[in-house]
Amino acid sequence: MKMEASVASVVRELFHLNAKQMQWDVAACTDTGRVRPMNEDSYRISAEQNLFVLSDGLGGAAKGEVASAMAVESVVASMQNDSAAMPGEFVSRPELTKETNLLVRAVESANRQIHEQGMREPACRGMGATIVAAHICGRRLSLVHVGDSRAYLFRAGTLQQLTSDHSLVAEQVRHGLMSHQQAAVSELQSVLTRALGTEQSVEVDAAEIELFPRDSLLLCSDGLTRMVPENEIAEILVQAPGVGIAAERLVNRANECGGHDNITVVVIRIKKSLQEWFATFFPWCGANLV
Amino acid sequence: MALLIVKFEDSVLQRVSINGGSVTIGRGPDNSIPIDNLAVSNHHAEIKSEDGHLVIQDLGSLNGTFVNNQRVKQSALKHGDVVLIGKHSIHVDEKSRGEAPVAVNRPSGNLSGGVKEAPKVDETFILDTAKRRKMMQEIAAAGERSQITPSRVRVATLVRVKGQIEKAEYQLTGKLTVIGKSEMATVRLRGWFKPKMAAQINRRDDGYYLGRGDRVPKINGKPIWSPTLLSDGDLIEVCGVELRFTIPE
Repeated sequence: MKMEASVASVVRELFHLNAKQMQWDVAACTDTGRVRPMNEDSYRISAEQNLFVLSDGLGGAAKGEVASAMAVESVVASMQNDSAAMPGEFVSRPELTKETNLLVRAVESANRQIHEQGMREPACRGMGATIVAAHICGRRLSLVHVGDSRAYLFRAGTLQQLTSDHSLVAEQVRHGLMSHQQAAVSELQSVLTRALGTEQSVEVDAAEIELFPRDSLLLCSDGLTRMVPENEIAEILVQAPGVGIAAERLVNRANECGGHDNITVVVIRIKKSLQEWFATFFPWCGANLV
Repeated sequence: MALLIVKFEDSVLQRVSINGGSVTIGRGPDNSIPIDNLAVSNHHAEIKSEDGHLVIQDLGSLNGTFVNNQRVKQSALKHGDVVLIGKHSIHVDEKSRGEAPVAVNRPSGNLSGGVKEAPKVDETFILDTAKRRKMMQEIAAAGERSQITPSRVRVATLVRVKGQIEKAEYQLTGKLTVIGKSEMATVRLRGWFKPKMAAQINRRDDGYYLGRGDRVPKINGKPIWSPTLLSDGDLIEVCGVELRFTIPE
């Protein structure tokens, strides 16, 4: 066993396999849909920061597009400024890593900015937005969200929802007051219980998940999930040869199903790493390598 | 001809014209104005048009029917009246002429195709924290009085039955629980040929779903190829490890 480990470390040195950061491909696609006059969704991909942010401006509220743009810009900027923070600094949830804590903090600060802007400018009064943000650090995915924009993980052929909507119907389902099927046809699907910008402070949901090669991550606004059933989303992710085609097909499908709202998707696919390839050919030391 | 405008908060859900005949309101899908809310009885109230006059009658509802904030058994309605049923309000408009009302349309029991239904409240809006708390309490209270018992959000536990794993019990608090050899796996497997990610459990709004990873797990001896909802007492088997899934009632 000891021998095995040392062989592994020598091989690791020889083949420069110490790079632990997951490699990924990403593509995003956004569309106004077929009903709404304008697109109030926003997204930002920051490749150097391994950061992906999506926001849906709230249509009922004035200036939804301003709120969603502010949300994504503000999160990307905060992550850039705070990344040099000392370990332990800004950590309000000790059970989560520093990176996740920074992401939570970035969303909280985006909330304050949007709220303040809403108070200051009469035209922006009451504006709001949802947010879902993903950050990849090594093998770990940090995921935070507020509102009904979702994150899904597609792994081993199954689509798993990583976020719980902050909507009235979803809360009723969680409390056992309503079935999944009832929620899907409820008139109150658009009633959110949390959003950015509507109150001075906001409770941010955070999760950490380990990523594996060949995982796909999907961030999307409700314009996709309300139109396209999950089994069709999974089918598109399986069949599309690349992330670009997957993103495009998801948006097209939502439009074919009616396109009632703005549709935005960000598709991230984790590449099979060099270590993985190595493990395929040399399973006896590969098992310890990765 | 009168128009009934059904609203939730400030959003218009439905416009229903009443031109002779009657309109029923309730939680059941057979009503002409169905309202999905536990504060509303199955057959809550009825509005009839009698000789050009509108009359509302409460059909023995649990939480009552209110006209301009007065609880009523039966009452005449006139232009501008507001009927309150649960959290929904119905505004009576007898002056509207030209505007063609939207016919009452409703998915009739076909819930499977529900995802494609156009949302009835088109504009998204947000409940503030205080309003949301109040509403959830009311919904829960209504649930207590009706047949459905509301429960707290439940956290499941995996209990070791057999196999080499670190702990005897695992609380499934995360959105995704991984069973495998990986360092970050919740349920860590040991042994040389164990996969890094053997199986996974996804916590969703309506419960916990077991899905495959690099192996196909079994529930009560049956192999699971697609995500399957777990129920209390199920035995999960994967890579020589057996775990009992328990969730408090």
